[in-house]
Amino acid sequence: MSKLQKKLLIVTTILAFSFGIMPVAYGMHIMEGYLPVGFCVAWGVICIPFLLAGFFSIRKTIEANRKTLVLLAMAGAFVFVISSLKIPSVTGSCSHMTGTGLGAILFGPSAVSILGIIVLLFQAILLAHGGLTTLGANTFSMAVAGPFVSYGIYRLGIKCKWNRYVTVFLAACLGDLFTYCITAVQLALAHHTDTSIAVALGKFLTVFAPTQIPLAVIEGLITCMIVMALETYAKPELRAIGFMKEVH
Amino acid sequence: MITIDKLCYNSKLRYVNAGVKFGYAISTLLICVMSHSIAIACIVLAVNGILTVHKGGIPFFRYRHYMAIPLAFLFLSTLAIMFNISREPLDLFAIPIGSWYLTSSRHAFFYSVQLILTALSGVSCLYFLSFNTPMPDILEVLRRLHCPKIVIELMLLIYRFIFILMRVASAVTTAQNSRLGNKDYRTSLKCFSSMASVLFVRSFKQANALYDAMEARCYDGSIHVLNENHPAEKKQIVLIVCFEIFLFLILILKGMFL
Repeated sequence: MSKLQKKLLIVTTILAFSFGIMPVAYGMHIMEGYLPVGFCVAWGVICIPFLLAGFFSIRKTIEANRKTLVLLAMAGAFVFVISSLKIPSVTGSCSHMTGTGLGAILFGPSAVSILGIIVLLFQAILLAHGGLTTLGANTFSMAVAGPFVSYGIYRLGIKCKWNRYVTVFLAACLGDLFTYCITAVQLALAHHTDTSIAVALGKFLTVFAPTQIPLAVIEGLITCMIVMALETYAKPELRAIGFMKEVH
Repeated sequence: MITIDKLCYNSKLRYVNAGVKFGYAISTLLICVMSHSIAIACIVLAVNGILTVHKGGIPFFRYRHYMAIPLAFLFLSTLAIMFNISREPLDLFAIPIGSWYLTSSRHAFFYSVQLILTALSGVSCLYFLSFNTPMPDILEVLRRLHCPKIVIELMLLIYRFIFILMRVASAVTTAQNSRLGNKDYRTSLKCFSSMASVLFVRSFKQANALYDAMEARCYDGSIHVLNENHPAEKKQIVLIVCFEIFLFLILILKGMFL
Protein backbone atom coordinates (compact mmCIF):
# COMPACT_ATOMS: atom_id res chain seq x y z
CA MET A 1 0.00 0.00 0.00
CA SER A 2 1.35 3.40 -0.91
CA LYS A 3 1.37 6.35 1.45
CA LEU A 4 -1.58 7.97 -0.31
CA GLN A 5 -3.61 4.82 -0.04
CA LYS A 6 -2.90 4.67 3.68
CA LYS A 7 -4.15 8.20 4.14
CA LEU A 8 -7.29 7.40 2.20
CA LEU A 9 -7.81 4.36 4.36
CA ILE A 10 -7.73 6.32 7.58
CA VAL A 11 -10.25 8.88 6.34
CA THR A 12 -12.66 6.24 5.07
CA THR A 13 -12.43 4.28 8.30
CA ILE A 14 -13.54 7.31 10.27
CA LEU A 15 -16.35 7.98 7.83
CA ALA A 16 -17.50 4.40 7.74
CA PHE A 17 -18.21 4.49 11.45
CA SER A 18 -20.65 7.30 10.89
CA PHE A 19 -22.81 4.88 8.88
CA GLY A 20 -23.94 3.36 12.15
CA ILE A 21 -26.73 5.94 12.24
CA MET A 22 -28.79 4.40 9.46
CA PRO A 23 -29.01 0.72 8.56
CA VAL A 24 -29.43 1.34 4.85
CA ALA A 25 -27.96 4.16 2.84
CA TYR A 26 -28.56 4.05 -0.86
CA GLY A 27 -27.78 6.73 -3.32
CA MET A 28 -30.76 9.02 -3.17
CA HIS A 29 -33.33 7.33 -5.34
CA ILE A 30 -36.74 8.93 -4.94
CA MET A 31 -39.08 6.00 -4.43
CA GLU A 32 -42.06 5.03 -6.55
CA GLY A 33 -45.18 7.10 -6.05
CA TYR A 34 -43.47 9.77 -3.97
CA LEU A 35 -43.81 12.64 -6.42
CA PRO A 36 -47.11 14.06 -7.73
CA VAL A 37 -47.84 13.45 -11.42
CA GLY A 38 -47.11 17.04 -12.46
CA PHE A 39 -43.59 16.87 -11.07
CA CYS A 40 -42.95 13.44 -12.59
CA VAL A 41 -43.83 14.77 -16.03
CA ALA A 42 -41.97 18.05 -15.55
CA TRP A 43 -38.70 16.37 -14.52
CA GLY A 44 -39.08 13.92 -17.38
CA VAL A 45 -39.46 16.79 -19.84
CA ILE A 46 -36.40 18.56 -18.40
CA CYS A 47 -34.36 15.40 -19.02
CA ILE A 48 -35.40 15.10 -22.68
CA PRO A 49 -32.82 17.48 -24.21
CA PHE A 50 -29.98 15.74 -22.34
CA LEU A 51 -31.27 12.33 -23.32
CA LEU A 52 -31.65 13.40 -26.95
CA ALA A 53 -28.10 14.78 -26.97
CA GLY A 54 -26.87 11.51 -25.48
CA PHE A 55 -28.93 9.48 -27.94
CA PHE A 56 -27.60 11.33 -30.98
CA SER A 57 -24.02 11.16 -29.79
CA ILE A 58 -24.36 7.44 -29.17
CA ARG A 59 -25.99 6.89 -32.55
CA LYS A 60 -23.23 8.82 -34.27
CA THR A 61 -20.47 6.82 -32.63
CA ILE A 62 -22.27 3.57 -33.34
CA GLU A 63 -22.67 4.44 -37.01
CA ALA A 64 -18.95 5.17 -37.13
CA ASN A 65 -18.01 1.98 -35.33
CA ARG A 66 -20.55 -0.70 -34.49
CA LYS A 67 -18.34 -2.15 -31.82
CA THR A 68 -19.02 0.83 -29.56
CA LEU A 69 -22.55 -0.49 -28.96
CA VAL A 70 -21.09 -3.48 -27.18
CA LEU A 71 -18.60 -1.32 -25.30
CA LEU A 72 -21.35 1.07 -24.21
CA ALA A 73 -23.48 -1.81 -23.03
CA MET A 74 -20.51 -3.05 -21.05
CA ALA A 75 -20.12 0.42 -19.55
CA GLY A 76 -23.79 0.46 -18.53
CA ALA A 77 -23.56 -2.96 -16.95
CA PHE A 78 -20.37 -1.90 -15.17
CA VAL A 79 -22.10 1.12 -13.64
CA PHE A 80 -25.07 -1.04 -12.64
CA VAL A 81 -22.94 -3.73 -11.01
CA ILE A 82 -20.72 -1.22 -9.19
CA SER A 83 -23.78 0.54 -7.83
CA SER A 84 -25.44 -2.70 -6.77
CA LEU A 85 -22.47 -4.00 -4.77
CA LYS A 86 -22.14 -3.18 -1.10
CA ILE A 87 -19.44 -0.68 -0.24
CA PRO A 88 -17.28 -1.99 2.59
CA SER A 89 -18.29 -0.53 5.92
CA VAL A 90 -17.30 -1.35 9.46
CA THR A 91 -20.66 -1.24 11.17
CA GLY A 92 -22.23 -3.91 9.00
CA SER A 93 -24.59 -1.42 7.46
CA CYS A 94 -25.35 -1.65 3.81
CA SER A 95 -24.54 1.23 1.52
CA HIS A 96 -24.10 1.64 -2.20
CA MET A 97 -22.34 4.13 -4.42
CA THR A 98 -24.03 5.77 -7.38
CA GLY A 99 -21.25 4.86 -9.80
CA THR A 100 -22.32 7.61 -12.17
CA GLY A 101 -19.38 9.82 -11.21
CA LEU A 102 -16.96 7.08 -12.20
CA GLY A 103 -18.99 6.49 -15.36
CA ALA A 104 -18.89 10.17 -16.30
CA ILE A 105 -15.12 10.34 -15.77
CA LEU A 106 -14.49 7.20 -17.80
CA PHE A 107 -17.08 7.43 -20.57
CA GLY A 108 -18.14 11.10 -20.74
CA PRO A 109 -21.36 12.72 -19.49
CA SER A 110 -23.54 12.49 -22.61
CA ALA A 111 -23.16 8.72 -22.88
CA VAL A 112 -23.82 8.41 -19.15
CA SER A 113 -27.17 10.20 -19.48
CA ILE A 114 -28.54 7.45 -21.74
CA LEU A 115 -26.78 4.68 -19.82
CA GLY A 116 -28.00 6.28 -16.60
CA ILE A 117 -31.68 6.15 -17.52
CA ILE A 118 -31.30 2.49 -18.53
CA VAL A 119 -29.42 1.67 -15.34
CA LEU A 120 -32.06 3.48 -13.28
CA LEU A 121 -34.83 1.55 -15.02
CA PHE A 122 -33.02 -1.71 -14.30
CA GLN A 123 -32.44 -0.64 -10.71
CA ALA A 124 -36.15 0.05 -10.33
CA ILE A 125 -37.23 -3.25 -11.86
CA LEU A 126 -34.47 -5.60 -10.72
CA LEU A 127 -33.35 -4.11 -7.41
CA ALA A 128 -36.41 -2.10 -6.33
CA HIS A 129 -34.48 1.15 -5.92
CA GLY A 130 -36.32 4.11 -7.37
CA GLY A 131 -39.41 3.78 -9.49
CA LEU A 132 -41.13 4.15 -12.84
CA THR A 133 -43.04 7.38 -12.19
CA THR A 134 -40.04 8.95 -10.51
CA LEU A 135 -37.71 7.83 -13.31
CA GLY A 136 -37.63 11.33 -14.77
CA ALA A 137 -36.69 13.01 -11.51
CA ASN A 138 -34.12 10.36 -10.65
CA THR A 139 -32.65 10.53 -14.14
CA PHE A 140 -32.23 14.27 -13.83
CA SER A 141 -30.48 14.11 -10.47
CA MET A 142 -28.39 10.96 -10.93
CA ALA A 143 -27.80 10.63 -14.67
CA VAL A 144 -27.73 14.26 -15.80
CA ALA A 145 -26.87 16.71 -13.01
CA GLY A 146 -24.38 14.57 -11.06
CA PRO A 147 -22.37 13.27 -14.03
CA PHE A 148 -22.22 16.71 -15.68
CA VAL A 149 -20.85 18.25 -12.48
CA SER A 150 -18.40 15.36 -12.06
CA TYR A 151 -17.20 15.66 -15.62
CA GLY A 152 -16.96 19.47 -15.41
CA ILE A 153 -14.82 19.29 -12.28
CA TYR A 154 -12.70 16.56 -13.80
CA ARG A 155 -11.99 18.58 -16.97
CA LEU A 156 -11.32 21.68 -14.89
CA GLY A 157 -8.87 19.76 -12.74
CA ILE A 158 -7.07 18.38 -15.80
CA LYS A 159 -6.84 21.88 -17.31
CA CYS A 160 -5.58 23.50 -14.12
CA LYS A 161 -3.16 20.60 -13.65
CA TRP A 162 -4.34 19.73 -10.15
CA ASN A 163 -3.19 16.51 -8.61
CA ARG A 164 -4.87 13.77 -10.62
CA TYR A 165 -6.26 11.83 -7.69
CA VAL A 166 -7.49 14.94 -5.92
CA THR A 167 -9.33 15.83 -9.12
CA VAL A 168 -10.94 12.40 -9.39
CA PHE A 169 -11.88 12.51 -5.73
CA LEU A 170 -13.42 15.97 -6.02
CA ALA A 171 -15.26 15.06 -9.21
CA ALA A 172 -16.89 11.94 -7.79
CA CYS A 173 -17.54 13.40 -4.35
CA LEU A 174 -19.00 16.72 -5.49
CA GLY A 175 -21.00 15.01 -8.22
CA ASP A 176 -22.55 12.78 -5.58
CA LEU A 177 -23.21 15.75 -3.28
CA PHE A 178 -24.81 17.64 -6.14
CA THR A 179 -27.06 14.66 -6.86
CA TYR A 180 -28.13 14.72 -3.22
CA CYS A 181 -28.82 18.48 -3.30
CA ILE A 182 -30.86 18.17 -6.50
CA THR A 183 -32.90 15.34 -5.00
CA ALA A 184 -33.57 17.46 -1.92
CA VAL A 185 -34.68 20.31 -4.20
CA GLN A 186 -36.99 17.94 -6.07
CA LEU A 187 -38.53 16.72 -2.83
CA ALA A 188 -38.87 20.24 -1.43
CA LEU A 189 -40.57 21.54 -4.59
CA ALA A 190 -43.09 18.71 -4.45
CA HIS A 191 -43.72 18.51 -0.72
CA HIS A 192 -43.89 21.63 1.38
CA THR A 193 -47.02 21.61 3.48
CA ASP A 194 -46.73 24.21 6.22
CA THR A 195 -43.62 26.02 5.12
CA SER A 196 -42.00 27.78 2.22
CA ILE A 197 -39.97 25.84 -0.34
CA ALA A 198 -36.70 27.17 1.08
CA VAL A 199 -37.48 25.93 4.60
CA ALA A 200 -38.62 22.56 3.24
CA LEU A 201 -35.37 22.33 1.27
CA GLY A 202 -33.43 23.00 4.45
CA LYS A 203 -35.31 20.26 6.25
CA PHE A 204 -34.75 17.68 3.49
CA LEU A 205 -31.07 18.58 3.29
CA THR A 206 -30.68 18.19 7.06
CA VAL A 207 -32.51 14.91 7.27
CA PHE A 208 -30.50 13.22 4.52
CA ALA A 209 -27.15 14.83 5.36
CA PRO A 210 -25.98 12.26 7.96
CA THR A 211 -26.16 9.46 5.42
CA GLN A 212 -25.40 11.28 2.20
CA ILE A 213 -22.37 13.39 3.12
CA PRO A 214 -20.21 10.49 4.37
CA LEU A 215 -21.49 8.45 1.44
CA ALA A 216 -20.33 11.14 -0.98
CA VAL A 217 -16.88 11.29 0.58
CA ILE A 218 -16.56 7.50 0.55
CA GLU A 219 -17.76 7.40 -3.06
CA GLY A 220 -15.06 9.94 -3.91
CA LEU A 221 -12.37 7.93 -2.15
CA ILE A 222 -13.41 4.61 -3.64
CA THR A 223 -13.64 6.13 -7.13
CA CYS A 224 -10.16 7.49 -6.56
CA MET A 225 -8.85 4.08 -5.53
CA ILE A 226 -10.55 2.42 -8.51
CA VAL A 227 -8.97 4.90 -10.92
CA MET A 228 -5.61 4.30 -9.24
CA ALA A 229 -5.99 0.57 -9.68
CA LEU A 230 -7.22 0.97 -13.25
CA GLU A 231 -4.21 3.05 -14.19
CA THR A 232 -2.00 0.29 -12.85
CA TYR A 233 -3.74 -2.71 -14.40
CA ALA A 234 -5.83 -1.51 -17.32
CA LYS A 235 -3.79 0.95 -19.35
CA PRO A 236 -4.65 -0.46 -22.80
CA GLU A 237 -8.37 -0.54 -22.01
CA LEU A 238 -8.32 3.01 -20.68
CA ARG A 239 -6.60 4.13 -23.87
CA ALA A 240 -9.22 2.38 -25.96
CA ILE A 241 -12.02 4.43 -24.42
CA GLY A 242 -9.98 7.63 -24.73
CA PHE A 243 -9.47 8.10 -21.00
CA MET A 244 -5.69 7.88 -20.95
CA LYS A 245 -4.98 10.32 -23.76
CA GLU A 246 -3.83 13.06 -21.44
CA VAL A 247 -1.45 10.86 -19.43
CA HIS A 248 1.45 9.26 -21.17
CA MET B 1 -27.62 -13.07 -7.54
CA ILE B 2 -30.51 -10.77 -8.38
CA THR B 3 -33.39 -12.25 -6.41
CA ILE B 4 -36.18 -10.43 -8.22
CA ASP B 5 -34.95 -11.76 -11.56
CA LYS B 6 -34.96 -15.34 -10.26
CA LEU B 7 -38.39 -14.97 -8.67
CA CYS B 8 -40.05 -13.57 -11.76
CA TYR B 9 -38.99 -16.54 -13.88
CA ASN B 10 -40.75 -18.81 -11.37
CA SER B 11 -43.88 -16.71 -11.11
CA LYS B 12 -47.15 -18.39 -12.02
CA LEU B 13 -48.17 -15.25 -13.89
CA ARG B 14 -45.05 -15.32 -16.02
CA TYR B 15 -46.81 -16.52 -19.16
CA VAL B 16 -49.60 -14.00 -18.97
CA ASN B 17 -49.25 -11.55 -21.85
CA ALA B 18 -46.59 -9.01 -20.88
CA GLY B 19 -48.50 -6.12 -22.43
CA VAL B 20 -51.48 -6.83 -20.19
CA LYS B 21 -49.34 -6.90 -17.05
CA PHE B 22 -47.50 -3.78 -18.13
CA GLY B 23 -50.75 -1.94 -18.89
CA TYR B 24 -52.28 -2.98 -15.58
CA ALA B 25 -49.25 -1.94 -13.52
CA ILE B 26 -48.79 1.41 -15.23
CA SER B 27 -52.44 2.44 -15.24
CA THR B 28 -52.94 1.46 -11.59
CA LEU B 29 -49.73 3.26 -10.69
CA LEU B 30 -50.91 6.41 -12.45
CA ILE B 31 -54.30 6.35 -10.73
CA CYS B 32 -52.58 5.88 -7.36
CA VAL B 33 -50.21 8.76 -7.88
CA MET B 34 -52.89 11.04 -9.31
CA SER B 35 -55.46 10.33 -6.62
CA HIS B 36 -53.34 10.71 -3.46
CA SER B 37 -56.22 9.02 -1.70
CA ILE B 38 -55.92 6.72 1.31
CA ALA B 39 -58.82 4.48 0.22
CA ILE B 40 -57.46 3.87 -3.27
CA ALA B 41 -53.98 3.25 -1.91
CA CYS B 42 -55.27 0.62 0.52
CA ILE B 43 -57.34 -1.13 -2.17
CA VAL B 44 -54.39 -1.19 -4.57
CA LEU B 45 -52.01 -2.43 -1.87
CA ALA B 46 -54.37 -5.29 -1.01
CA VAL B 47 -55.11 -6.23 -4.63
CA ASN B 48 -51.45 -6.19 -5.65
CA GLY B 49 -50.48 -8.16 -2.56
CA ILE B 50 -53.04 -10.85 -3.39
CA LEU B 51 -52.08 -10.87 -7.07
CA THR B 52 -48.35 -11.16 -6.42
CA VAL B 53 -48.35 -13.54 -3.46
CA HIS B 54 -51.45 -15.66 -4.10
CA LYS B 55 -51.79 -15.65 -7.90
CA GLY B 56 -48.13 -15.19 -8.74
CA GLY B 57 -46.86 -17.58 -6.07
CA ILE B 58 -44.13 -15.28 -4.78
CA PRO B 59 -43.19 -16.34 -1.21
CA PHE B 60 -44.79 -14.02 1.32
CA PHE B 61 -41.60 -13.42 3.31
CA ARG B 62 -39.82 -12.27 0.16
CA TYR B 63 -42.64 -9.88 -0.66
CA ARG B 64 -42.60 -8.49 2.88
CA HIS B 65 -38.84 -8.12 2.78
CA TYR B 66 -38.99 -6.19 -0.47
CA MET B 67 -41.83 -3.98 0.72
CA ALA B 68 -39.60 -2.98 3.65
CA ILE B 69 -36.72 -1.83 1.43
CA PRO B 70 -38.03 1.67 0.70
CA LEU B 71 -38.94 2.27 4.34
CA ALA B 72 -35.65 3.98 5.21
CA PHE B 73 -36.15 6.59 2.53
CA LEU B 74 -39.81 6.91 3.39
CA PHE B 75 -39.07 7.36 7.09
CA LEU B 76 -36.46 10.07 6.59
CA SER B 77 -38.30 12.13 4.03
CA THR B 78 -41.57 11.92 5.94
CA LEU B 79 -39.71 13.16 8.99
CA ALA B 80 -38.75 16.21 6.98
CA ILE B 81 -42.31 16.81 5.81
CA MET B 82 -44.02 16.30 9.15
CA PHE B 83 -41.81 18.13 11.60
CA ASN B 84 -41.28 21.82 11.67
CA ILE B 85 -39.10 24.02 13.78
CA SER B 86 -40.78 27.35 14.35
CA ARG B 87 -41.42 30.01 16.95
CA GLU B 88 -45.14 29.34 17.07
CA PRO B 89 -46.61 25.95 17.97
CA LEU B 90 -48.84 24.33 15.31
CA ASP B 91 -52.09 22.51 16.02
CA LEU B 92 -51.12 18.80 16.27
CA PHE B 93 -48.38 18.88 18.89
CA ALA B 94 -45.44 21.03 19.92
CA ILE B 95 -42.33 20.14 21.88
CA PRO B 96 -40.60 23.26 23.20
CA ILE B 97 -36.82 23.50 22.66
CA GLY B 98 -35.68 26.74 24.22
CA SER B 99 -37.71 29.51 22.63
CA TRP B 100 -38.46 27.35 19.54
CA TYR B 101 -40.85 24.50 19.02
CA LEU B 102 -40.47 21.14 17.33
CA THR B 103 -43.98 21.07 16.03
CA SER B 104 -46.36 19.58 13.50
CA SER B 105 -49.77 20.44 12.11
CA ARG B 106 -52.76 18.21 11.50
CA HIS B 107 -52.62 19.02 7.84
CA ALA B 108 -48.99 17.95 7.56
CA PHE B 109 -49.74 14.76 9.47
CA PHE B 110 -52.55 13.69 7.12
CA TYR B 111 -50.47 14.73 4.16
CA SER B 112 -47.64 12.46 5.34
CA VAL B 113 -49.91 9.49 5.95
CA GLN B 114 -51.42 9.94 2.50
CA LEU B 115 -47.97 10.20 0.97
CA ILE B 116 -46.68 7.07 2.71
CA LEU B 117 -49.66 5.02 1.59
CA THR B 118 -49.53 6.37 -1.96
CA ALA B 119 -45.84 5.59 -2.17
CA LEU B 120 -46.29 2.07 -0.81
CA SER B 121 -49.14 1.34 -3.21
CA GLY B 122 -46.99 2.68 -6.05
CA VAL B 123 -44.19 0.36 -4.97
CA SER B 124 -46.62 -2.57 -4.91
CA CYS B 125 -47.57 -1.78 -8.55
CA LEU B 126 -43.89 -1.74 -9.49
CA TYR B 127 -43.38 -5.05 -7.69
CA PHE B 128 -46.34 -6.59 -9.44
CA LEU B 129 -44.61 -5.83 -12.71
CA SER B 130 -41.10 -6.80 -11.70
CA PHE B 131 -41.99 -9.94 -9.73
CA ASN B 132 -44.09 -11.39 -12.54
CA THR B 133 -42.47 -10.20 -15.76
CA PRO B 134 -38.99 -11.22 -16.90
CA MET B 135 -36.89 -8.41 -18.33
CA PRO B 136 -36.91 -9.62 -21.97
CA ASP B 137 -40.73 -9.48 -21.93
CA ILE B 138 -40.63 -5.89 -20.66
CA LEU B 139 -38.16 -5.05 -23.43
CA GLU B 140 -40.56 -6.60 -25.96
CA VAL B 141 -43.34 -4.32 -24.66
CA LEU B 142 -41.02 -1.32 -24.98
CA ARG B 143 -40.25 -2.38 -28.56
CA ARG B 144 -43.97 -2.43 -29.33
CA LEU B 145 -44.22 1.07 -27.82
CA HIS B 146 -41.68 2.24 -30.42
CA CYS B 147 -38.80 2.88 -28.07
CA PRO B 148 -35.72 3.62 -30.25
CA LYS B 149 -34.05 0.48 -31.56
CA ILE B 150 -30.59 1.41 -30.34
CA VAL B 151 -31.85 1.90 -26.80
CA ILE B 152 -33.65 -1.45 -26.79
CA GLU B 153 -30.54 -3.22 -28.03
CA LEU B 154 -28.40 -1.42 -25.51
CA MET B 155 -30.81 -2.56 -22.79
CA LEU B 156 -30.76 -6.14 -24.01
CA LEU B 157 -26.97 -6.21 -24.00
CA ILE B 158 -26.74 -4.47 -20.62
CA TYR B 159 -29.18 -7.01 -19.19
CA ARG B 160 -26.99 -9.82 -20.47
CA PHE B 161 -23.77 -8.18 -19.24
CA ILE B 162 -25.11 -7.54 -15.76
CA PHE B 163 -25.17 -11.25 -15.04
CA ILE B 164 -21.76 -11.89 -16.54
CA LEU B 165 -20.23 -9.10 -14.48
CA MET B 166 -22.09 -10.12 -11.33
CA ARG B 167 -20.69 -13.62 -11.70
CA VAL B 168 -17.17 -12.25 -12.18
CA ALA B 169 -17.59 -9.94 -9.20
CA SER B 170 -18.78 -12.71 -6.91
CA ALA B 171 -16.03 -15.07 -8.11
CA VAL B 172 -13.38 -12.43 -7.47
CA THR B 173 -14.84 -11.69 -4.04
CA THR B 174 -14.82 -15.41 -3.16
CA ALA B 175 -11.22 -15.63 -4.29
CA GLN B 176 -10.33 -12.61 -2.19
CA ASN B 177 -12.15 -14.01 0.84
CA SER B 178 -10.33 -17.31 0.58
CA ARG B 179 -7.03 -15.42 0.59
CA LEU B 180 -7.85 -13.47 3.76
CA GLY B 181 -9.24 -10.49 1.87
CA ASN B 182 -12.12 -8.54 3.40
CA LYS B 183 -11.00 -9.59 6.87
CA ASP B 184 -11.06 -6.05 8.22
CA TYR B 185 -11.94 -2.60 6.97
CA ARG B 186 -8.45 -1.96 5.67
CA THR B 187 -8.37 -4.99 3.42
CA SER B 188 -12.00 -4.73 2.40
CA LEU B 189 -11.46 -1.26 0.95
CA LYS B 190 -8.44 -2.45 -0.97
CA CYS B 191 -10.34 -5.54 -2.11
CA PHE B 192 -13.32 -3.52 -3.28
CA SER B 193 -11.28 -1.17 -5.42
CA SER B 194 -9.09 -3.88 -6.89
CA MET B 195 -12.18 -6.00 -7.57
CA ALA B 196 -13.80 -3.06 -9.36
CA SER B 197 -10.75 -2.56 -11.55
CA VAL B 198 -10.50 -6.26 -12.38
CA LEU B 199 -14.20 -6.14 -13.19
CA PHE B 200 -13.52 -3.31 -15.60
CA VAL B 201 -10.76 -5.25 -17.38
CA ARG B 202 -12.85 -8.41 -17.51
CA SER B 203 -15.89 -6.59 -18.81
CA PHE B 204 -13.75 -5.17 -21.58
CA LYS B 205 -12.57 -8.62 -22.54
CA GLN B 206 -16.12 -9.94 -22.42
CA ALA B 207 -17.36 -7.13 -24.62
CA ASN B 208 -14.67 -7.86 -27.20
CA ALA B 209 -15.36 -11.60 -27.13
CA LEU B 210 -19.08 -11.00 -27.49
CA TYR B 211 -18.55 -8.66 -30.41
CA ASP B 212 -16.33 -11.20 -32.16
CA ALA B 213 -18.91 -13.92 -31.59
CA MET B 214 -21.68 -11.73 -32.93
CA GLU B 215 -19.61 -10.69 -35.91
CA ALA B 216 -18.95 -14.36 -36.68
CA ARG B 217 -22.71 -14.91 -36.71
CA CYS B 218 -23.44 -12.17 -39.25
CA TYR B 219 -24.21 -9.32 -36.86
CA ASP B 220 -25.32 -6.40 -38.99
CA GLY B 221 -26.29 -3.86 -36.37
CA SER B 222 -29.44 -5.43 -35.05
CA ILE B 223 -30.01 -8.33 -32.70
CA HIS B 224 -32.90 -10.61 -33.56
CA VAL B 225 -34.50 -12.51 -30.72
CA LEU B 226 -37.20 -15.11 -31.11
CA ASN B 227 -40.08 -14.05 -28.92
CA GLU B 228 -42.56 -16.36 -27.31
CA ASN B 229 -45.97 -14.95 -27.93
CA HIS B 230 -48.69 -15.39 -25.37
CA PRO B 231 -51.92 -13.83 -26.60
CA ALA B 232 -53.84 -11.74 -24.11
CA GLU B 233 -56.95 -13.36 -22.65
CA LYS B 234 -60.17 -11.42 -23.00
CA LYS B 235 -61.22 -12.25 -19.45
CA GLN B 236 -58.11 -10.65 -18.00
CA ILE B 237 -58.48 -7.50 -20.04
CA VAL B 238 -62.13 -7.12 -19.03
CA LEU B 239 -61.25 -7.64 -15.35
CA ILE B 240 -58.45 -5.10 -15.50
CA VAL B 241 -60.60 -2.51 -17.26
CA CYS B 242 -63.36 -3.03 -14.66
CA PHE B 243 -60.85 -2.60 -11.84
CA GLU B 244 -59.47 0.61 -13.29
CA ILE B 245 -62.97 1.98 -13.84
CA PHE B 246 -63.80 1.04 -10.24
CA LEU B 247 -60.75 2.96 -8.98
CA PHE B 248 -61.64 5.87 -11.19
CA LEU B 249 -65.19 5.95 -9.83
CA ILE B 250 -63.86 6.11 -6.27
CA LEU B 251 -61.68 8.99 -7.36
CA ILE B 252 -64.64 10.86 -8.88
CA LEU B 253 -66.96 10.13 -5.95
CA LYS B 254 -64.35 11.36 -3.53
CA GLY B 255 -63.96 14.51 -5.58
CA MET B 256 -67.73 15.10 -5.46
CA PHE B 257 -68.06 14.75 -1.71
CA LEU B 258 -64.99 16.64 -0.66
